[in-house]
This record gives sequence, C-alpha cells and structure tokens, in this order.
Amino acid sequence: MLTIEEVKTRLKNKYQSAVKKFEQPYGTRLYADIDKSKVREISNEIIGMGGRYLVSVGYDNIARDKTLGLIHAFSLDRDDIFVCLRTAAPVDNPTFDSITPDIPNAGWSEREYMDLLGMKFSGHPKPKRLILADDWPEGVYPLRKEVPWNLMPPPAENVAYQLDEAPEGCTTIPVGPFHPTLHEPAHFAVYVDGETIKGCDYRGFMVHRGLEKLCQTQLTYNEIPFVAERICGICGSVHATSYSQAVEMAAGFRISRRAEFIRTIMLEIERVHSHLLWLGVAGHLIGFDTIFMQAWRVREAIMWFGEKLTGNRKTYGMIVVGGVRRDISPELKDELLGILKTIEKELVTIHKAIVGDSSIHRRTKGVGRITTDETRLWSLVGPVARARGVDIDTRRDHPYAAYDEMRFDVPVVDSCDVWGTVVVRILETFEAIKIIRQALDTMPAGPTMTEFAEDIKPYQHAITAVEAPRGEVVHYLISGEENRPERWRVRAPTYPNLQGVPAMLLGDQFADLPIIIGSIDPCFSCTDRVVKVDIRSGRISNLTGGELETISRAKKLAGR
Amino acid sequence: MLAKLCKKAFPRSLWAYHCNAGACNGCDIEILNVLTPYYDIERFGMKLVASPRHADVMLISGAVTRPTFPLVKKAYEAIPEPKLVFGIGSCAAGGGCWFDCYNVTGGADKAVPVNYIIPGCPPRPEAIIYGVALALGLVEKKASPVELKQVEFPVDMYLKNKAYEERDVIYQVLNR
Repeated sequence: MLTIEEVKTRLKNKYQSAVKKFEQPYGTRLYADIDKSKVREISNEIIGMGGRYLVSVGYDNIARDKTLGLIHAFSLDRDDIFVCLRTAAPVDNPTFDSITPDIPNAGWSEREYMDLLGMKFSGHPKPKRLILADDWPEGVYPLRKEVPWNLMPPPAENVAYQLDEAPEGCTTIPVGPFHPTLHEPAHFAVYVDGETIKGCDYRGFMVHRGLEKLCQTQLTYNEIPFVAERICGICGSVHATSYSQAVEMAAGFRISRRAEFIRTIMLEIERVHSHLLWLGVAGHLIGFDTIFMQAWRVREAIMWFGEKLTGNRKTYGMIVVGGVRRDISPELKDELLGILKTIEKELVTIHKAIVGDSSIHRRTKGVGRITTDETRLWSLVGPVARARGVDIDTRRDHPYAAYDEMRFDVPVVDSCDVWGTVVVRILETFEAIKIIRQALDTMPAGPTMTEFAEDIKPYQHAITAVEAPRGEVVHYLISGEENRPERWRVRAPTYPNLQGVPAMLLGDQFADLPIIIGSIDPCFSCTDRVVKVDIRSGRISNLTGGELETISRAKKLAGR
Repeated sequence: MLAKLCKKAFPRSLWAYHCNAGACNGCDIEILNVLTPYYDIERFGMKLVASPRHADVMLISGAVTRPTFPLVKKAYEAIPEPKLVFGIGSCAAGGGCWFDCYNVTGGADKAVPVNYIIPGCPPRPEAIIYGVALALGLVEKKASPVELKQVEFPVDMYLKNKAYEERDVIYQVLNR
C-alpha cells in the first residue's frame, strides 16, 4: 500500500525540479505540476507503481497565460489514489511527448486533442484524425475558446472514410454505419482472410454532439446534470452522479448522507436494468431470441418502478448538484423490495437456462480472447476486464456515495472470453440487488438537498470516477467563472474498451464479430459524447492488428 | 386525410426500419422495447427489419449529426415507395437540447421529409405504438389541435403602470 505522501516523495526524489508543485485539495487526489519534457518518464513511473491510465484532459488556457494545458490522469487502484499529471505548452508550439507508445490506451485521447485543440504529439504511432472529419477545415479547433459552440463549416459531399490499407491477402468487409447488429452508427472495416479476422479499423464518433463545448459555453452548473444524463440513455444517472460529485468536490462540500444513499440506490437500479438489457441484446446477437424476450420482460418491472419514483422510465432527472430531487417514501421502499424479489427469482431461472444451454457455450467460449496482461496493457475496464481476471471495481477501490458502507462481492472470472462477460454480468446483477436491499435497510433520515453555502471558486480541479454498468466513468472538472465549468471532460467506459476490440477480434471467425463487439456493451453515444467535433466523413481508426501485435510484443519483450 | 391515405397504402403488415442518427440510446431502447412481450407490437403485424429495402416505415431517432446526415438520406432513398417517416423523441423532433451545436444538423426533418413526430425524452413504448397506430388509422385521435394566437404585449397597460409608479414617486417627494 502506498500513501499519497510516499508517491510525492518518490516523484520528488527521482525527478527533483521536473516536478514543480503538488496540490492535494482532497484526501485521495494528487495533482502534480510537471515539466513537459518529463511527461513520458513520469507517466511510466506511475504505471510502475501499479497505476492504471484513465484519461487525458486537454484545455484551453490561452486567455490567461497563452498555453494549452494537458493533464494525464492515473488511478492507483490498490491505494485509493488518483494521480493527475498537469503540464502545459505555449500555444505557438503546443508539442508534447506522446505517451501512447508505452500506454496504448492514451492513443485516442491524444488524437482527440490533435483534432480539437491543435496539440501535437511527437512519437505518436498513428497521428491521424480521430474526431474531426476530413472536410473540417485545417486550423479550426472547436474546443478553443475563440471558436463559438455553434460554428458550422459548410459540409463537403462524398468524402470517403480514410481507412487503413488492408493487410496483404486480406479482404475488407465494411460493417456499418447502419447495421442490424450495431444499434448505433459506427463503421468497422474488418479485414478477413477467408473467415478469419486479421485486423480491424474503426471509424466512429458519429454520435458526437459537441456537448462538452455546449456545457462549457452556454449552460450553468445546475443545468448540466440534465444534459449529462442525456449523454447516454441507459446509464444516465451515472454521468449525472459523476458530474455532481465533481462539482461538489471542486466546491469542497458534502451532501447529506440520505442523498448519498438514494444516489447509490439509483445507480444500482440502473445496473439491474442495464445488465438485463445487455443480456437480452447478447441473446439477440447470437440468435437466441428467447433470452431477449425473457430478459426484457423481467426488466420491465424495474422500468415501471423507475417511472413511479422519478417520473420517467429512463433519463430520470433524479440527481442534481447538491443531492437528489425526490425522496424514497416507505411505500415505494416496500414496492421496490417486492420487485427485487420477483426479479431475483426470475433471474435465477434465466441464469440456469443460460448455464445449461450448450449452444450459448459454443458461441461464447473461447471467443474474443485477450489475455490478462493485454487487458492491463490496454487499461480495459468494467465487466470486460473482470471477465479477464483483472480485479478492479471503482465502487470498492475508490468508494463514493454510500458504497463505503455496503458489503458486496466483485465477481471476477479468468476465462478471458465472451462467456466470462456473460457470467460476470449475471453475478453482478445479483450483487446489485443485494446492495439495493442493504441501502434501503440502513438509509438514514435527513434532507435530500443541501444548499451551497458559497460560490464555487474558479479554477479548482476535481476528478471523480463512478462504476457504470459498462465499467468506469471518469469525469474531470475544472471550475470556472460565470457559474459554469471552465472544462468538463467525460470518459465513458466504452472509450477504453473499444480500443481493445481489435485485439479481441484478432484470429476469430467473422460470424463472431457481433457478439464480440456486443460483449463490451458498446455505448457509442457515451464514447462520442461531447467533445467531439465534426464529422462527416471520417477518418479514424484504431490500431490495426499488426500495429497492436508489434506493440504487444514490444511490451512483452520489455518485460511489462 | 393522411390517415386515410395510409390505410389505403399500407393495408397489411407494416415493416419498420430503425435508423439511429446520433441518439443517446434512450429512444432506441424504447423502440426495441415495443417488440418485447409486454408491448408486443407484432400483434399489429408490425416488426423491425434489418434492411431499409424491406421496410415501409422509417423510424428516426436522434438529432441528425453531421456524419450521419448523408447516410440518413441514403437510407431513406433505399426504402421503396410508398413510405412513411417517423421522428421518435425530442431530438428527432427538433434537435433536442443540442439543436445548434457544431456537430448537429438539428432534427430529422433537416435530412428527410418527416410525416409524424412522437415526442418524449424518451417516448414511452405506449406512445410509440399509439403514434404508429394513429398514423395507420387503427385508433381515433384523442386530442384536438389547439390554435395558439400571438398576443401583443399591452402597451397601454405598461404606460399606465409606469404613470402610477411615477405618481407614487412624486407623492413621496412631496410628503418628505
């Protein structure tokens, strides 16, 4: 176990003057201002301490000191610490060292800021556009303050996707953007040799709505939770909770205990309905429609309860800055307990049916394989990582809301395939039911809303993580003037997980593609969320299988 | 009028193609939900199909984003005539809360002609079934249209109030 002081001492001793300043406004968060030439070394040092890469945040600081800021955030899961390395570069030469060669998961974040803020990363293995379209004019960076939120450069017609060359002897099969197995628009170019997948290129970010920019320029702190819920229609409360916690942390303020319990209950209700939904969709993807129908029938009860409690079946609008909007009355509590009993009973039946069905075993076992080491290398999160033997869960590692009082297990299996994700999700649903029962039993009395005593000071940094049904959601917030955030960065769980998909696809049959992509429970609207920018034609891509292999091998040789 | 036409044009089962043009998943899940046992839209002979070429109806969800804009148009052209287009949810109706963002074109009607709009964020499955049934003339319309008139701001009232206020000020000055 490391303490935050030990982390500080280690960095200070090893890098001396390269670490300029430490800030520690909140017990478990460490912000270190570092020299930009040492970014890569210090990042590797944090990874060496057992850190896991979360996200990079770029922000526009031109008005204050003519720089562009960059923050790399890491989580030390065993020690309940978040470490954020802050650095900056002058706006006329915004070049940073890329950390992608060591941490492949940072690839998308860095490409995002190449597009949105005009940063440059030396040593990036694939400095292509990720978010902006080919017809977006050069030199217009939508996340810079000078660019208005509603700027719309005229679109160009018929710009083709700029995809990678297919490997030698392979055929390209386009999947998407509108495809029956993808419920959201995204384009996969799959390179196959016969039936075997040899590589994959991804062009997505088609659901990018520019929401981060909207919230940073137009809305106020109190309005944003409702927009945050609309990042994703399935895990809306997760984003609202994460955002609200970030604002509360920046303000240095605690909400009432009862509100924290109600937040916990809302998050777990969402997990129950989301996992049942995924179970149905997964059944549908492998052609087992009975599971689809049954899982969604069971799920319906919790949707109705959600409507009774909050007024809407989804997009609850329940969680706001400072607490929650509505209280759970004793009658609603009894009703929820009854519903949970029914769901648990029926889920046991579904579980038995799935475990006993040989066709599901054959479709999912050994499919989408990726080893535990590769999972760590790619910083995958959520059930996808837990099905590959990586024991991480934000609820336990970095407790928030009322999770510090809850007792629950974190199911981890090491089958390293799609079957593992099925098992993990079913077991997690039982755990979620357990947590809701505990929370209802031990919920203290008190107000649901707490008023802020004073204004939020500008330029406070806050990072929060919340365990969504799909994995870990990270929100980074820099408070600003005019009652709105200066910068708000959302990282949804699909963002890292989708980067690991080419590794999972490698060597599998083309017919297994839908269930492998489906097994990460993809949510492109979360991934593409906010920041994004334009679109239309796309260019993008992930690492191809070949590059991935090269990196993985290099890593293995390097002994990581 | 349109309902009568629809009855004639779509006398049998209605096949729907679902097109997600940048929605948050909320509306998409509700569209899938109408297939499940509680709502069971197949009792009306409706079902979701994978290809626009098989479809009679297009369900668009989401504020059409810039990258999906040409694709939505292409999908619409692929549907054989006669065809109907439904905009599902607030985003398809007019762009939702991000109607003027840099990456959003602002509503399904910017891309293709929309015949019916089912509002809600997201609309309930019942609302989707009711909307489609209404379009086909399976149910009676329950609400009558309300006409709203632009009312001019009563200028005299404003002046009158102002005069009273000024008069009060004068009294205050006089009494002092």
